[in-house]
Amino acid sequence: MSVLGTLVGVVIPYAAAIIFVVGVLYRVFTWSKSVVPFKITTTCGQQKSLPWLNRTFMDRFDSPSTNWETAVRMLMEVFLFRSLWKNVRYELPAQTAVSTKWLWLFALTFHWSLLIVLIRHFRFFLQPVPEFVNFIQSLDGFIEVHIGWFQPHVVHIMITGLTLLVALLYLLYRRLAFPRERTFSLPSDYLALVLLLGVAITGLLMRYVIPVDVAQVKELAQGLLSFHPPASPELHWLFMLHLLFVSALLAYFPFSKLMHSAGILFSPTRNMPNDNRVVRHINPWNYPVKGVDWDEFYEEFKEDMEELEKMGYVVKPEEV
Amino acid sequence: MQEEKFEDKEKFEIVQKFSGWKEILKPTTEMKKGYYSYAASLKDQEYLNLPFPREWSPLDDDWKLPPNWKEILINKIDELRKKYRSLQVFMDICVRCGACADKCHYYIGTGDPKNMPVVRGELLRTVYRRYFTKTGKMFGEWAGARDLTEDVIREWYLYFFQCSECRRCSVFCPYGIDTAEITMLARELLNSIGISQRFTLTSAAACVRTGNHLGLSPGGVVNSIRYAVDDIKEITGIDVEVPVNKKGAEILFVTPSGDYFAQPHWFTFIGYIMVFHELGLDYTFSTYAAEGGNFGFFHSFEVAKKINQKIYKEAKRLGVKWILGGECGHMWRVKHQYMATYADETYEDALKVLEEPVNPVTGTVFENASSTKMVHILEFLADILKHKKLKIDKSRNDHLVVTHHDSCNIARGMGLFEEPRFVIKSVCNHYYDMPEHAIREKSYCCGSGAGLLADELFELRMRGGMPRAMAVKYVHEMYGVNHVTAACAIDRAAIPTLLKYWKLPVQMGGVTELVANAMVMKGEIERDTDLRGNPLGEYLEVEI
Repeated sequence: MSVLGTLVGVVIPYAAAIIFVVGVLYRVFTWSKSVVPFKITTTCGQQKSLPWLNRTFMDRFDSPSTNWETAVRMLMEVFLFRSLWKNVRYELPAQTAVSTKWLWLFALTFHWSLLIVLIRHFRFFLQPVPEFVNFIQSLDGFIEVHIGWFQPHVVHIMITGLTLLVALLYLLYRRLAFPRERTFSLPSDYLALVLLLGVAITGLLMRYVIPVDVAQVKELAQGLLSFHPPASPELHWLFMLHLLFVSALLAYFPFSKLMHSAGILFSPTRNMPNDNRVVRHINPWNYPVKGVDWDEFYEEFKEDMEELEKMGYVVKPEEV
Repeated sequence: MQEEKFEDKEKFEIVQKFSGWKEILKPTTEMKKGYYSYAASLKDQEYLNLPFPREWSPLDDDWKLPPNWKEILINKIDELRKKYRSLQVFMDICVRCGACADKCHYYIGTGDPKNMPVVRGELLRTVYRRYFTKTGKMFGEWAGARDLTEDVIREWYLYFFQCSECRRCSVFCPYGIDTAEITMLARELLNSIGISQRFTLTSAAACVRTGNHLGLSPGGVVNSIRYAVDDIKEITGIDVEVPVNKKGAEILFVTPSGDYFAQPHWFTFIGYIMVFHELGLDYTFSTYAAEGGNFGFFHSFEVAKKINQKIYKEAKRLGVKWILGGECGHMWRVKHQYMATYADETYEDALKVLEEPVNPVTGTVFENASSTKMVHILEFLADILKHKKLKIDKSRNDHLVVTHHDSCNIARGMGLFEEPRFVIKSVCNHYYDMPEHAIREKSYCCGSGAGLLADELFELRMRGGMPRAMAVKYVHEMYGVNHVTAACAIDRAAIPTLLKYWKLPVQMGGVTELVANAMVMKGEIERDTDLRGNPLGEYLEVEI
């Protein structure tokens, strides 16, 4: 067992973490090396022009004119999924579009749940456990239940663990069941969901159904973090499965669409202000292109131009 | 038996096709009538010095691609992803959540899954994965990657010319992925192996040579202006003088060339001239920079730059203080987001004469244009009307029940929403907005932008314009709306056809037309017609 423990508990997680860190940095480096030739903000609200024009509170962020407004726009995209919130569904044959928020709801639920679950996991890695982790944990687990039939003690139901699962199942369901989504979903889209589901399900099983020795998990986690992993750890099979899913997800991350989490920060239609006519954007690779200049133009249309000169450069109505 | 024309069909079907990812990877190459664009003419390709100029047709079995086309294309993708962070990021981060899927008017109207913005992006992304990502190289189609073949090129040509670069999908995308950006760069890619679309290239070549998309000679532009002043004299009895190429004028006025004679652009065109006359503006038209729009923008960086440079050069030559731009959609995306960036030393050169725009009538400083020095006509008019510098008789527009179509580019590439509404409400008594999902940043395209106004794309345009037409239908039935305004020359060309096709008895026009119609000019005769020559205050039913 112990060789397996070293492999699954130490070697694979380290390898996955290295791939993750190097891969993500490489991708981010590739993006930042590529340049931004134009300021192509997508404007989703009234521009800042004449000061008295009606401009709503949200217009300032949907069509930001300053850097801080742009920052707020980005924060709203990242933390509230502002653009998804606007989602509508076109209905044939009624020929109208109605607001639809399901994708927004489940996507937001999934991402926030994942974030909180991740923060909760800090308690395995950090000793002493930071106060904010305990705080989030107590908020998350405010529902206490006594379920005697599968665990003979009081259980704190961690809401985010369950919402994570539900949201993931919905995201998988829509790809399988909705014809449009099924049409463009690639195998990699399912792979990401399956890996995440694997992580979530094994985690939930450990919490509610098949308890594992938490002390042992902590020892491994803290050992990994301090680069002094325990030698030949004895690990529970379910925990090993959990670790494998996590490692696979981490290693897959930089090669996949999961990079959207960093990519959104680089999106040129969102991260620049709509101040194009105030601040000139410089294209770093701009090069001159020869067009037709005035002299060539004059030569080609000399007769017309001389006629215009005779008119004194003014067009008047015909004398009747 | 003669094939039934799309125009004559009593009804058409929207077949929503659903398949799976393996189907999506297979190129669709069928050049269906009404969906594919004609190839660029040899003359235009040669005039613009494009790579690999030749005569070809999308219907040919052999597109006569250069022998090393694949290599050129892959190198070009590599070049572009380094030059455009947008491309690199958009290729990498799409999660295929599908929020964009039914936001595309072409998808709504055709039901073709490849018109979903996410899949339009995948057309390029699948190739990107195959040649530039580890997973794509290793796992091939299981990683959503496919080889670059001639069929893929055909598919690109079909579908990247079924996108009007309206950016509606980009509003709804949680990462702001902009399919317009992908389409623009895909067209740039196609250009690198000698594939261009006829409609955009004809207009762009004409613009480079003559200074406007229509290919009018300077004499033609002058003639148009002459007809305009004649028309104004007939309507108002006033002699209006229009400066052209006048050195030392304060303002250079630039408008899309459609305004010079197309209908119903014309009424907006004479509207501009009437308003400028009434305000006593010191302005000038230019024959060299007679065009505000830039069809090069729908083709490639270099052609766009060829066209773009004229305005600053002309501003410098004439010594104007600032530039005023007419009602146009993509023109304003370019003016707002690209013009000063495209310009290299021509911009610095023009700065020797240009100043921060100040409205000479009201004294308002247009701080929002302090660097580019170019102001939108509706910003200008909103300022004028706010300060009540024109005598307005709103009742002259009482026969109109108006709604406003937010043109894609000025909506999502500029954020110009309140200016047109303020201007319209200042000169009209009856104004109703279309439903919320069809206006402002959620506005539907007319279906004909970004070079898709071509006749051969008629079916696509009428299908793609359907959501817009249905929104008009809603306000037509609900409030009796009989007039749609749009501050865009393509809209003014596309929407009348669209409304006629969808059997909506609603007319169409620009915003300035309504201002000029309601404006009581100093010294005018008793007006008995409006700008359209219709009896004043009477609405002539639109034939459908």
